[in-house]
Amino acid sequence: MVFSACQKLDLEPKGILGQPELFGNEFGVKKYFTGIYNNLPIEDFNYYGNNNPSGGNAFRPDNYWEAGKNSQGNCSGEFFNTWQGVNNGGFGYWPYDRIRDVNIFIQDFPTYKSKFSDAAYNALMGEAYFLRAFFYFGMAKRYGGVPIVKTVQNPLSPKDSLEVPRNTEYDTWKFIYTDLKFAIDNMPATSEYGRANKFVAAALMSRAMVYAGSIAKYTTYMNYGSEKAYTAGLAGIDPGKANEFFQYAVNAGKLIETGSYSLYTKNYPDKALNFANLFLDASSTENIFVKDFDQTAPHNTRLRHTYDALMAPQPDMSSFVGAESYPPFDFMELYEMPAYTNPDGTPVRFTNRSDIKIDMEPRMKGTMYFDGDLLRGKAFSIQKGIYRNYTGTAADAQRGSNGAPINSGGNRILGGRGWTTVINGVTLNITGAHGHFDDQGGENNGWGAAFVRKYVNPAPTPAEVSVYTSGTAWIVFRLGEVYLNTAEALYELGQRNEAFDYIEKLRVRAGCKVPRPAIDAATTNIGTINKANYPYQIEKSLQFIRDERERELYGENHWWWDLRRWRVADQVLNQFRPRVLSCYYVASEGKYIYLDETNRINRTWSANKACFYEPIPGGEIQKNSKLLPNNPLY
Amino acid sequence: MTMLMFSSCYKKDNWSEPDARVYGNIIDSYTKKPLLTSQNDWSIRIWERSWKESTPINQNIPVKQDGSYNNNKLFAGSYDMLPVGGAFWPFVDTAKGVTYTKGGAQQDFTVTPYLQVVDLTATVTGTNLTLTCRIKAPKRTGLPNLVEVKPFISLTSFVGESNYINIAEYNDKRIQINKSWVDENGDVETSKLYTIGPLPVKSGYTYNVRVGANVNDTYKKYNYSEIKQVIVP
Repeated sequence: MVFSACQKLDLEPKGILGQPELFGNEFGVKKYFTGIYNNLPIEDFNYYGNNNPSGGNAFRPDNYWEAGKNSQGNCSGEFFNTWQGVNNGGFGYWPYDRIRDVNIFIQDFPTYKSKFSDAAYNALMGEAYFLRAFFYFGMAKRYGGVPIVKTVQNPLSPKDSLEVPRNTEYDTWKFIYTDLKFAIDNMPATSEYGRANKFVAAALMSRAMVYAGSIAKYTTYMNYGSEKAYTAGLAGIDPGKANEFFQYAVNAGKLIETGSYSLYTKNYPDKALNFANLFLDASSTENIFVKDFDQTAPHNTRLRHTYDALMAPQPDMSSFVGAESYPPFDFMELYEMPAYTNPDGTPVRFTNRSDIKIDMEPRMKGTMYFDGDLLRGKAFSIQKGIYRNYTGTAADAQRGSNGAPINSGGNRILGGRGWTTVINGVTLNITGAHGHFDDQGGENNGWGAAFVRKYVNPAPTPAEVSVYTSGTAWIVFRLGEVYLNTAEALYELGQRNEAFDYIEKLRVRAGCKVPRPAIDAATTNIGTINKANYPYQIEKSLQFIRDERERELYGENHWWWDLRRWRVADQVLNQFRPRVLSCYYVASEGKYIYLDETNRINRTWSANKACFYEPIPGGEIQKNSKLLPNNPLY
Repeated sequence: MTMLMFSSCYKKDNWSEPDARVYGNIIDSYTKKPLLTSQNDWSIRIWERSWKESTPINQNIPVKQDGSYNNNKLFAGSYDMLPVGGAFWPFVDTAKGVTYTKGGAQQDFTVTPYLQVVDLTATVTGTNLTLTCRIKAPKRTGLPNLVEVKPFISLTSFVGESNYINIAEYNDKRIQINKSWVDENGDVETSKLYTIGPLPVKSGYTYNVRVGANVNDTYKKYNYSEIKQVIVP
């Protein structure tokens, strides 16, 4: 017998992909990048706008069906709901682990340069810079200045060198700029579905730079005074730098216009249907970057969602718990709406409830469902109650108060699901089939006159619409947003007419009666929603551009960030009490009226001045005291 | 019922329980009396300076409705203290090195309120309550814009922003000003008379009412009037 002891045991394991396999060919890099893409800070259907109550990462929450109920829109009053409020403090986002993944690639990929063509090598390197910029954008908009780590730290090096202090907010946004500039210069114009190319990088540039510009311009009005993070430039940027960033945003927007993108118009002439389908058509020419979802994806990948089931009433249009997010009247009023009150103050009489849609802006109809609209084979049916008689003005209803004489003594009849009443021998339904039920809370109970239509997919049957069954893709960047970024940046730079060229394009597509309002350079410090009291004056046409942004991007997780970067969140959400537009049947006339009411349970949303910056996570400060001073007001 | 018992590592913590105390009052520099405020509306920030192991993170001691504060579960040591977040001109004079002991350390602070709410009257007519008051701004240079004058109504003795009947019938009657003091009142110390109401109240109930006014500073907290008790016949 022969024993041989010379077998070499220290072998490369065959089951693990090492750097040569991952960085040495395009498929390997794709695999490496997939994990990074999956963790990009994209605020999609599964994003918990609120602190993730089950702990962990708001971008990849547990029990993620609830994300729709915890959405950023619910937290910021963009959607009326009965249980979410403003999250002023954030959730400790700190993705340096993912940034390290990117830095390892940037450091080591040059070793494998010989295995790629120059074009392929540059494209992949550019993509890495785009990914890194995206993580820094996710932090900069939350914290202002953060430590810029662009090399791979060695955990065994001296502790002192591992404790990286914060960079200034200006440097942080400028770092995002240089990373994206590199990405734009090195990536090709096209890419496979779901991956970045130079225009995707430019779209992130467009958004990030308009954020940076407004932060630079308006933080000075926050009276942070002697707050150490402010005086050190960690929170806030010299207003003199604002135009630099606005110009970067304009440049990025113009670059995107050289690409093959165009506003979605496939369903013309029906502009309402067209606007709704923009969010459902995977082949939309407006999409610049899309995060794909798929209802056949394995459960724990978080690549399917529950949006459809949490936006539509049950059981007629879904088979889960029903909706919990409703458009407040304050947001409906931003659009061109028909009159619901006559010049003499009396409510307009409508023959049908759905007549409220006559003369309504098509984009609004594409954004919200109203009474009579069909979804999955059923028509929406929304009514709050019955008046036996309605004599007098809309104001007599005192915004829905039970104490108003016209609402007392049985003249106004409210009820629950399926309740009826008999008036003059005729049996009448008190409410609509989908709300509003006076005896119930927010779940599956329409508040106001509308349900959310944006992103709702009408294709599946009600039985198919349930928990984790939605696969609609999330549009991360679309040309419509880029136009709004460009318009805002141009206006801030004083190029007012050019700014309105972009607004006009969007308003034509929206079907507005006035596609291009005249420029009004008069100033005001009063905003539109909640008549907010801004700490600075702005021209009325700039306020119009801001409002246009919300009309176009309603429900797309922009509103909260916009309020923050404009430094008005604490004023717009100053005891913001969403109003509801309620429909009543007037029995004596056989007609319907719509009344502007206070939400029945007096819910308010309030942001405080600390919300403009989130605190640096306490656990990170424990590890690295050089992260101090903490942000203002913490 | 099953009772589970886990026993391991029966080692006693070698650190005795915190038992040092600090207490005091927040004094209004105009009235020389405790500041009129609302329960747990804002707090005293404290930093322990005798602890050298790590950078101290502040703790907060809430201030009570009567303008006092008290905490007797702190570690003995030396602390810095600063009142933060209330309706007064920024307080910058940090109390340094206050020594907390078991016997207790008293530390009072004198602050200058932005506004004073004075001359409160409460009139009940039937089941409607009407309030009137005036606002005073002794220091007007640099005063942030006035935000609003708001009624606070409660069925308990605690009344203020942290506890009030939050219904539209009351809140919609708040007077939203959103102007500078000079634009609203001219450069005078005492404002015009503000009338708030009618506010619907219920027969047979006893209400505690007060009026708050605030300015658009960082915290937008209210300066309050005294509390008036209103019995609705």
